[in-house]
Amino acid sequence: MRLVVDSPACTGCNSCALSCSFVHQGHFSLADARVTIERDSARARFVPRVCVQCEEAPCIAVCPTDALLRDEELGCIRIVEARCVKCGKCGPACPFGGVRLDGPGRVPVICDLCGGDPECVKHCRLPGALSLGAEGKARTGAQA
Amino acid sequence: MREESSQMVMYVDLTSGTCNSEAMDPNRLPAFLGGRGLGDLLLWQNLPRNTDPFSPDNVLVFSTGLLVGTNAPTAGRSCVLTRSPLTKRYLKSSAGGHFGTALRLSGCEHLVIRGAAEFPTYLEIRDGVASLRDARELWGKGTRETTQALEARAGALASVACIGPAGENRVRFASIVVDYYCVAARGGAGAVMGSKNLKAIVAVAGARRIRVAHERGFSDVVAEARERLYADPSVGALHEYGTSAAIPVMNEMHLLPSYNFTRAHFASPHLEELGGEGLVRNGYLKARRGCSGCIIGCHRYTEVHQGAYAGTFSGGPQLETITKAGPNCGVDSVPAILRYNEICNDLGLDTSETGSCIAWLMETYAKGVVAPASLRGRGVRWGDSDCLVGLAEQIARRAGIGDVLAEGLRAAAESLGGGSWKWAMQANGMSVTGIVLQATYAYALAYAVNPRGPDHLHSQTEAELALSRDAIQLIERITGSKEYARPSCLEKRAEIVRWHEDIFAVSDALGICAFATTSSYAIDEEICARLFQAATGIQMDAKSVMECGRRIVTLERAFNVREGFARSEDTLPWRIMNERNEDTLGVEDPIVTQEKLDVLLDSYYALHGWDNAGRPTAECLRTLGLAGIVAGM
Repeated sequence: MRLVVDSPACTGCNSCALSCSFVHQGHFSLADARVTIERDSARARFVPRVCVQCEEAPCIAVCPTDALLRDEELGCIRIVEARCVKCGKCGPACPFGGVRLDGPGRVPVICDLCGGDPECVKHCRLPGALSLGAEGKARTGAQA
Repeated sequence: MREESSQMVMYVDLTSGTCNSEAMDPNRLPAFLGGRGLGDLLLWQNLPRNTDPFSPDNVLVFSTGLLVGTNAPTAGRSCVLTRSPLTKRYLKSSAGGHFGTALRLSGCEHLVIRGAAEFPTYLEIRDGVASLRDARELWGKGTRETTQALEARAGALASVACIGPAGENRVRFASIVVDYYCVAARGGAGAVMGSKNLKAIVAVAGARRIRVAHERGFSDVVAEARERLYADPSVGALHEYGTSAAIPVMNEMHLLPSYNFTRAHFASPHLEELGGEGLVRNGYLKARRGCSGCIIGCHRYTEVHQGAYAGTFSGGPQLETITKAGPNCGVDSVPAILRYNEICNDLGLDTSETGSCIAWLMETYAKGVVAPASLRGRGVRWGDSDCLVGLAEQIARRAGIGDVLAEGLRAAAESLGGGSWKWAMQANGMSVTGIVLQATYAYALAYAVNPRGPDHLHSQTEAELALSRDAIQLIERITGSKEYARPSCLEKRAEIVRWHEDIFAVSDALGICAFATTSSYAIDEEICARLFQAATGIQMDAKSVMECGRRIVTLERAFNVREGFARSEDTLPWRIMNERNEDTLGVEDPIVTQEKLDVLLDSYYALHGWDNAGRPTAECLRTLGLAGIVAGM
């Protein structure tokens, strides 16, 4: 299971980010979301930045303490907080801007696919910028 | 309700340079809901009677809807409330974009701005603190350059609401432009900002969190509202083609004002190109844009790549922009309309009012009342698309004839004389929104009693056009019979208007888009009440939420009554009341005479419990719990 991003379809509405923070933290915030929208509003260009569950994940490869691993069932990246030394290497390693390092305690914040039923996708059915695809090669309109 | 979601008001005095915030009395929430409701209350409490709109004593209130910043579908709307320099009446002007969300996340739900700064200034709100900063180097700049400069200073989580040269020059219909292309357009709130030397407001979304009282309950009702919207085919059409999809439909129904409202049908071979589908087909549409939390995304982004207007890019155009600059001026050139839209957005001009001024000038020129000499030797002929941009520039800069038009249609007609007031399509100083009122009587009543002037954004009664099964069912629910889903019927119009007034007020108070409640009907009174209840923890049902809407509408009425307006101002443009529009289809007597309007007004006042002069009675105020608030009206 993976998130499929189609940037040209994104309207920049932030429903994904607001829903993400609500489902994970129980409040609405743009700062806490696992998905962010990079925007050039003057030209109406919106690019959702979120983990797309790469097959060969650079974030896992770069982690010096094996704090990042793949969830066998869902295919998403999991963080073992006890092992994380907050070195911040995983953030820049991600070509899709899918790892946030500005969260509480600087522990990486990465999409967990909401346990298999991502909330953001439910709020993006009409524009269709975020959808759920089958396993396979990561397909994204996001520019690396 | 948890502390973080209490309604915070930031009071800003531009004269003294002081800013301080305080929490609003939570007891007001169940009566006024939030957004426009609480904003109205702040306006009423802070604006002295008979204040000149350009006086430092005039107050500008910004109010974010209760649900703005949440994921409730379409909850991205905020209102600006003030006394209008165009009409001298109550003004609510609203916009979407992300400003409301950023404002809430910056620390406040409402701004109350008074006074006037000594020199051009902008206001920045961050982490609950407001600061006034020097904007001298931004003065004179367009809204795009201003927004870009302030975004660069404040960072990626900033949202900017600003004015352009039109606002600075106190053009009486100058707009406030939010996030580049979302516009609080009507009634001249931008000119009030200009009169206060306030170039922009920057809200920076920060550490604040927005909480709701019942997380699970909120999630459930949001999901229900969302699924209902997705299931409505009109929502898909709005996403695909935007508001201007209605152009060919209105033309076919002979409801599309053309040539300054003399005609109801625009017989151009290029008509289809002007509609939303045409914009897509011909490659002008480059992206769709959504306001905060909006799963519809009706806003457009368009570009022109060829011809005289190559290089044009902007948000829009909306239906109203196209109607006013297009058919109503006899213009059918899409690139010219797109450039006009871009220029108006950048100069901070209301595209609707500006287009009405140009159409009026075209008719005035055609009738020989205005000579080419006063137009810099250049004629202003029907269909002359090249004059749109030049006139918009002249208006914004108050150059030549633009200085006359910048005062608004009513004043311009007085200035040029020659009977031109008869074709100035305005009432109470504001130009009428683009639909043929001689054939749509709920619209006509709604426009006559709209507190800000004859336009659609307080009570658009689209349901009377019976365009969908949902619309017909709604009319049946309101009136008791499907028979009343006919726009040229005089009966039950008051009931139809009042329902729409109430739900519009509720939508604005919650921050939900009217497209979700009065175009699609997916979000109804019950959903609104449940959203309010889950967000606040305060008991609310469908009947009570609509009563809140009525309370809001009545307070706005009281505002205008306090300023001396009554029945004689509940009126429509002269042409609508005195000239038959023979271009309409299937309407027996296509005119809204005073006699007809009186029938409509009598039933409307009676339904509201207002007296024959259109003033809320003591009994009405008591029933709505407004007696204490409006004492001394």
